[in-house]
Amino acid sequence: MANERNLSLKKELIIDTDVHLQIKPDEIAKWIDEPFKSIMTKGHIGNPLPDSGWDRSMAGKIEKRLITGPEDIQEKLCEEFHIDHPIINSFGKVGKASMSRLAVALARGYNDLVLEKYLDDYPHFYGQITVAMQDPEAAAEEIYRMGDEKQYIGVFIDNTGPNPPLGDPRYDVVYRAAEDKGLPIAYHAYDSGFIVDFPRQNAGVETFFAVHVLTHPYAHFLTMTSLFEHGVPEKFPDLKFVFLEGGVTWLPYMMYRLNKVHSIRRFDAPMLKKTPEEYIRDQFYISTQPVGEPNNQEDMRKIMEVIGFDRMMFSSDYPHFDFDHPEGLEKFLRVNIPAKDRKKVLSGNAKEVYGI
Amino acid sequence: MSDHIVADVSEIGDGERILVELKGREVGVFYLDGEYYAFANWCAHQGGPWCEGTLTGTFEGEFNRDTLEYRLNWVKEGKILNCPWHGWEYDVKTGVCLSRRSVKLPSYPVRVEDNKIIVTL
Repeated sequence: MANERNLSLKKELIIDTDVHLQIKPDEIAKWIDEPFKSIMTKGHIGNPLPDSGWDRSMAGKIEKRLITGPEDIQEKLCEEFHIDHPIINSFGKVGKASMSRLAVALARGYNDLVLEKYLDDYPHFYGQITVAMQDPEAAAEEIYRMGDEKQYIGVFIDNTGPNPPLGDPRYDVVYRAAEDKGLPIAYHAYDSGFIVDFPRQNAGVETFFAVHVLTHPYAHFLTMTSLFEHGVPEKFPDLKFVFLEGGVTWLPYMMYRLNKVHSIRRFDAPMLKKTPEEYIRDQFYISTQPVGEPNNQEDMRKIMEVIGFDRMMFSSDYPHFDFDHPEGLEKFLRVNIPAKDRKKVLSGNAKEVYGI
Repeated sequence: MSDHIVADVSEIGDGERILVELKGREVGVFYLDGEYYAFANWCAHQGGPWCEGTLTGTFEGEFNRDTLEYRLNWVKEGKILNCPWHGWEYDVKTGVCLSRRSVKLPSYPVRVEDNKIIVTL
């Protein structure tokens, strides 16, 4: 339905930094070799990738949304949501695959699938290279293998699952590869990984409400802390780090807490030459969804001003159940902040970070 | 500004310090590697008495991007002053805070005349 709000969105250049696909085992199986093809399709227990079994159905209250092909993205996101450039992310369960060889094969297969099925015929679509951090050397190889594809504009890491946490020096080879190829690193947590990283909490809570509230901030807290513990942003000064699907309001808390503890225990993180805040304001970015919802909208403006409008990039997380329609954020930004800052959040920062 | 004799050189050995009060301010006078240093006894963090902290070494990180070798080296033994309240680290020769390089503690000129240590404040 054409109305005033859609016209307003239509005028904006919008880059969506977090769009998801559903890739079923039968589909990915076509893109991988044996024995992994059989592992994905002939197991007697079904999908070999672990899930925690939490109810995501919304109890039948809303219809399930699916993206099963590029035409869905074109129709639902580009036309209905007025997204100019969707960035396709995720084969999230790769991060939890118990067999590292399977994880590596799946990541390669997924990247080939996305390139051929989603990117080749849609030059305004972009994607991020999924890597399996269970095998850092293979992850680096995958970055070099795919890094010259023009529509692959970043490296996508599931940050629920990898152990030790992602600042560990064993992953330096991956960060060096991304820096070599000029690709930012994007971290994205998955609710299905909560059971892996936080098994005690997973067993203790009662509902998916609790799991979903906690998964993304827990994962981002752990990843960001680990990056600073081992000085990753100092080791790779040209690398950019993107934290997806955590909303924005967690960042000030972590930024200032990291500053505080770093000043007291600098000798524990001695690679750092600056305060964590300085690295964050130089090399770190966050996607907006799920944008927090204060009862007083003015509070969000204040928090965004603290974060800075050059750090935030719009994301929808479509088609997941807590997606943000660009209408909400665009309207909020239009009313509350200067136009140049609105444009940075809707597209300018993503253009710069991802080189779009 | 005026000169204040704070001690005889024999009173501060290498790696030692004294605390004096000059014009109502607490001042720490350090002797390290043949040089004297004088600082206000005030930490930039929360105002702690940093001149009363321990002198230790600290870790520095070293990274080789080509080999990915990552090492932590214990360095500057006896030259890092840790504020006794929260452990903020300062290089005692410069007063620069190691975690916040833009923070430098107020220092005062020190000189020796006729074996007397003189602080100008």
